[in-house]
Amino acid sequence: MKLKYRLVPQGAADGIVPINLAFIDKQDIDEAGLTYKEACAMVGRDFKNDPVTINVIDQAAVTVTSDGIMNDGAVVAFACADYGKINKDFGVMSISEMPYSEALMAEEPHMKQWNTEHYCGRRLYRGPSPEDRKPLESHNEHMTMTGRITNNNTGSEMMNVVEMTEILALFTGQMEIMKGGDLLVGTAGPDVSVGIGMVVRERRGRIFGWNYGAGKTAHNSGIYAKTVKSDYPAIAADKKIVAEYTLRALDIGMVPGLHLGCSPVVLSIAKAYGKPIALDNIEEAAWVELESIGITREKLSAPTKPMRREEILAHADEILPGMETAKKYKASEICHIRYAENQG
Amino acid sequence: MRLMHTRLPDFYEKAILAGKKLRPDTEVEIRGLENFQTGKLASLRVGRVEKEIEEITQDPNVEKVEVIIIPRNTETNHTVIIKGIQKNGKCKKAILESMYLSSPGEDCALYDVEEIDDRRGPLEPRR
Repeated sequence: MKLKYRLVPQGAADGIVPINLAFIDKQDIDEAGLTYKEACAMVGRDFKNDPVTINVIDQAAVTVTSDGIMNDGAVVAFACADYGKINKDFGVMSISEMPYSEALMAEEPHMKQWNTEHYCGRRLYRGPSPEDRKPLESHNEHMTMTGRITNNNTGSEMMNVVEMTEILALFTGQMEIMKGGDLLVGTAGPDVSVGIGMVVRERRGRIFGWNYGAGKTAHNSGIYAKTVKSDYPAIAADKKIVAEYTLRALDIGMVPGLHLGCSPVVLSIAKAYGKPIALDNIEEAAWVELESIGITREKLSAPTKPMRREEILAHADEILPGMETAKKYKASEICHIRYAENQG
Repeated sequence: MRLMHTRLPDFYEKAILAGKKLRPDTEVEIRGLENFQTGKLASLRVGRVEKEIEEITQDPNVEKVEVIIIPRNTETNHTVIIKGIQKNGKCKKAILESMYLSSPGEDCALYDVEEIDDRRGPLEPRR
């Protein structure tokens, strides 16, 4: 039996990618009649001497990025392998589906995106449940680890804890890898570093839980927020793709700082689109971080002519803040299709 | 028995003695607890480890025993104590913060080992 997977190898994107990153399509696993654990083990065995992270992606499902934007696709399992093996206790974690409920919609206003034509009726996966997290349930990150490698935050930050390298793989970028789409690869820089902390309040979020709501900063580290993750390599989707998902949320009345996280990307698109921003709901600690990268209340309040949807998509590269240094790649330029064989 | 504990320096001594019991020339290296200057270890486990160190030396080809002690779960939760020390050497104010650390687990010490006899209990919490 052969199992197809996609590999972004160590050294890809002109040497920027520091770790082997493998992605398996859930549909391929289903067709092979494997469990996620068995599929991850098969891919792990393909790397005899090297570490690799493995994410299982369900392209038919939906997920939510940490700033509250709903996206096509979801990570439904994530793993780490080293020297062909997966740690029996901590090496692989699957994510339970989150059922639709009126209670969820009432508690988490950004989830109204799930009712729109883009996502309605699709399965939702965010972060792992306490049961999924065992035996790591009491620990900080949604993390798997084997040997030199950890795969954190539900498969979005991959580290080699011996070489001490790391890469940030934003979910929209992972979906572009699956679809053979358009990517940005580079160094995260201050805007991304600040943006990661501007989250929404979620039960079982991919990265954060119930502690921080829209308008707050999970970093809460003042002028240091722009440096905490700025030197990481990062893989993201092309900005027009990020803009499209954000516009969908703004189109149904989601307000940054109130329903959505006040990340630089969300704020910049809302400002360009002429949509309201809950400036008074953004806490002082978040303003300090935003102002450290030049996003101020004055700039967001200044009158400007709203741009049309099409204009924003056409000019996404100029409107959206993002990585400090980034280069556009087709997914096919940095990603190979490979097949793992079941060796019994 | 659960309440009985071994002094940290005694553990080092016991581990070295166990490693040299069959052949006094056997080298015993213990690492991983360097940051702990004082402490007490569960005596039940110390006894088992002594027995297992001796057991590993029953292979006549073993010349050295490495005893490596690392956190079972290698995402460890630490407290950061930030103290401002004044001229008189006293601390008027301290800030506590939490810090998580991810570090290499047992796989990194075992990747080229032929036989691994895992005698650890399961990680499921006690009910």
